[in-house]
Amino acid sequence: MGRIKKILFAILVVIIAIQFIQPARNKSGQVLQTDFSTTYDIPQDIFTLVKNACYDCHSNNTYYPWYSYLQPIRWQLDKHVQNGKKHLNLSEFGSLSSRKKNSRLKEMSNSIKDGTMPISSYASMHKNARLTEKDRELLIDWLEKTIAGLK
Amino acid sequence: MKKQILIMSAFMIGTFAACSQDKHEHHEKKEDAIVKTNADTKQTPTVNSKASASIREIVTKYIDLKNAFVNDNSNQAASAGKALESAFKNFDKKDLTPDQKKGYEDVQDDAREHAEHIGANGGNIEHQREHFVMLSKDIYDLIKALGSPQPLNKMFCPMANDGKGAFWLSEYKEVKNPYFGKKMMTCGTVKEEIK
Repeated sequence: MGRIKKILFAILVVIIAIQFIQPARNKSGQVLQTDFSTTYDIPQDIFTLVKNACYDCHSNNTYYPWYSYLQPIRWQLDKHVQNGKKHLNLSEFGSLSSRKKNSRLKEMSNSIKDGTMPISSYASMHKNARLTEKDRELLIDWLEKTIAGLK
Repeated sequence: MKKQILIMSAFMIGTFAACSQDKHEHHEKKEDAIVKTNADTKQTPTVNSKASASIREIVTKYIDLKNAFVNDNSNQAASAGKALESAFKNFDKKDLTPDQKKGYEDVQDDAREHAEHIGANGGNIEHQREHFVMLSKDIYDLIKALGSPQPLNKMFCPMANDGKGAFWLSEYKEVKNPYFGKKMMTCGTVKEEIK
């Protein structure tokens, strides 16, 4: 076997080997009392937007598409979820202090307005997560009203 | 495109007009509008030297940050944000009274996160300023709970924060707006003197 062939073979072995590494999934399967949907009296259509656009990375329940079982895609995805939950975990939203709730709502509103969220690479892979101009307006409007109501 | 420019300029003129009008109104009522908290600060608990050095550090770094925004300097704001974050990290709360401790802890986590975000977003001054809106409220509440180490002014600009208005704390009464920088440097009025 030539050197190049050996290297290609080694790479193939590694790729196959890492497929067996399947970290625990971020899927608690339950809706906590502290969930965003129970913290506020949120209209169903607004909550559907939040659920589709935010919950995959910002809650304890991620939807895993088929390609998420392929490595190294899975690692990438896990990193996103881990990072997303660090900044905002909608499953545990109710346990935050009112000061933090206020900040989180404001950050949600700002990042949706700026277009930084949902992350474009994620939205490009998930049709449901894409927000139309109208969706954005609805969401921001509800968030700002909720923030104003907290004061 | 032409239409867009037209709409944009109409909007800009509108906002400027709104701001100067507001300023005018405030000017007339200025004497009543300024709240002097001097009298009721008598009850503001005095904190011992260690904690007060910690608060002084937080206020100093906050002022540095505010001035970086006044100068439209995003990178300077980022390093001031990082410095403020470590000021919170190094805060000595051992000798605070239970009430003060509660006040401090309520603010701390939130303020630290805003400082961290500002520190991590050098180059994106708009995003940094969004966090500065919330951070300013935190710092205000903090010095209300613990007492201010130096005279400060609570300044308010009705145009900031997407027209919803936002305040900031300043070591001087002159209006130098950290939310707009040189775009709208003088938008704002003194709302409260904190001694």
